[in-house]
Amino acid sequence: MSRRPWSDTARGYAMNAPALLALLLLVAYPIGYSFWVSLHRDNLAQPSVRKFIGLDNYLSLVDDPAFLRSLAVSALFVLTVVGATVLLGLAMALVLNETFFGRGVLRSLVLLPWAMPGVVNGLMWRTVFDAKTGALNGLLTDLGWIEEYQAWLSSATGAFLLTAFAQVWNTLPFAVIILLAGLSTIPGELYDAATVDRAGPWQRFREVTLPWLLHPLLIVLILETMNAFRAFDTIYVLTGGGPGDATGTVALLTVQRVLGYTDVGLGSAYAWVITLITMVISVGYVGLLYRRGSFEV
Amino acid sequence: MTKVPLRYRIPWRKILVSALALVFAAYLVLPFYWIVAMSFMTEADANSLPPRWIPEHPTLENYRAFADPTAAQALVGSRAVKETPFALGNSLLVATLTALLNLLLAVFAAYSFSRIRFRGSRVLLMLYLVTRMVPGVAIIVPFYLLMRQLDLLDTYWALILSYTTFALPVTIWVLKDFFRAVPRELEDAARVDRCGWLRTMWSVVLPISAPGLVAAAVFSFMTAWNEFMFALFLTSTTAAKTMPVIAANFATDLNTQFTVMAASGVLAVLPPLVLVLIFQRLIVSGMAAGSVKG
Repeated sequence: MSRRPWSDTARGYAMNAPALLALLLLVAYPIGYSFWVSLHRDNLAQPSVRKFIGLDNYLSLVDDPAFLRSLAVSALFVLTVVGATVLLGLAMALVLNETFFGRGVLRSLVLLPWAMPGVVNGLMWRTVFDAKTGALNGLLTDLGWIEEYQAWLSSATGAFLLTAFAQVWNTLPFAVIILLAGLSTIPGELYDAATVDRAGPWQRFREVTLPWLLHPLLIVLILETMNAFRAFDTIYVLTGGGPGDATGTVALLTVQRVLGYTDVGLGSAYAWVITLITMVISVGYVGLLYRRGSFEV
Repeated sequence: MTKVPLRYRIPWRKILVSALALVFAAYLVLPFYWIVAMSFMTEADANSLPPRWIPEHPTLENYRAFADPTAAQALVGSRAVKETPFALGNSLLVATLTALLNLLLAVFAAYSFSRIRFRGSRVLLMLYLVTRMVPGVAIIVPFYLLMRQLDLLDTYWALILSYTTFALPVTIWVLKDFFRAVPRELEDAARVDRCGWLRTMWSVVLPISAPGLVAAAVFSFMTAWNEFMFALFLTSTTAAKTMPVIAANFATDLNTQFTVMAASGVLAVLPPLVLVLIFQRLIVSGMAAGSVKG
């Protein structure tokens, strides 16, 4: 007999049965069914025209300007949000790793945005960015930085940047905690050695801190990319995709297609494209982790 | 950088760190402070120019509106205002049941990964992770159709089942790490006393990993409390609408009074916030352990 007898295997699967069964029914089945639906012309408003059309829904996406535009918006949104989250998260984690008065309080405060539901986050920033009574206008005029109140969310660039800003605020805690946990595992001797070698602060950061943080940084990159790519609630409440299509991400467009036009066939095709993109990105990231030999189960 | 003689060195590093800490604290707290302050303002205060930072005539009217709206409040967001108390109850129930169901399903799976070496266990563990990567929009339509078939639309169960798919993989991953930390000797001792594995798990492993159970439960509770897209699709009446759906109604209704909307936002963020503050340490260690180790 091998070291892992079959009876153990049977027990292992028996213990996983409840969870597996639930996920099979609630994830695997819907995904399979969704692919089937995406091969049909299927509009809930017109049940009579349901018809198998093969890959036509997918082919129509290739030259659908609205869809391509939303892909571009999503890509830009992910780049902006993930870039800002990683930089800001790293800065915050580095500060929290120092000793200073009130560190414990700041460590609790970091979790505040994390507790906020996306919808409430969108709602909160809506009142802050409001053109008439918003806090941002009030603050900037108080500081004398702007002459008169601005309608921040009505310009395309402004809406895009502020939506990204709101999203970053919401997802930042996650990055900070992971990076902080990574920082706390760096042995102090490494810094002592670097100091003996007369390395400046920047050099110590580059030679010691960054290499050690590579793994946590990758984790943050993976999860924040997924998050930003499927971001929906904050955008839905803050701009609803507008003005025009300036903040209309793929996730938002999908929901609008399904909810607004009840076109479940086309909506499922959208969803499948999103899934494929997510999969490609995550396989790429996981491959990176594997190659660094740092992925253990 | 020029070197300052050692004796007169100004603690630049300390100053920089403290300054940054202050900036970060302001960044984290100010936006939240703003809606909390607004939720205690009268409408006139909230609409004044320039904006007030402190409620001049603090009032609880906005919160009272949900239980007993005045004529004006009932008019502005009539449905959302009336539905808020129901939504709070629904959210509480859905999130609690989601947390419990997840623990129940995840405990066995997580235990198997921590104690039994079996064929395909790594693949299985990866499989759980992969299901977590499927975006919600990808399954919302078929999920809707499935729930319609089962006649569960606009019920708690539609939400609890969908949230289970989000939370279950995470719960398994978190619990597996906590279970692995339980000393094997304790279990062996129980086995010598002729306890079966179920009994061993119940009376030895679970009590010791109670912090892990709590962390996992808090995670799933928050997932369920915060979720919006599925709640939007799967619920339509006060029978199952949750707080995020109501909050979104406030935000997209152009007539809404900002102060009442702020109050609804504060109500919607309160439960997860309280949980995070109470279980701060557990959450951080659970989150960090799960991801830094891989």
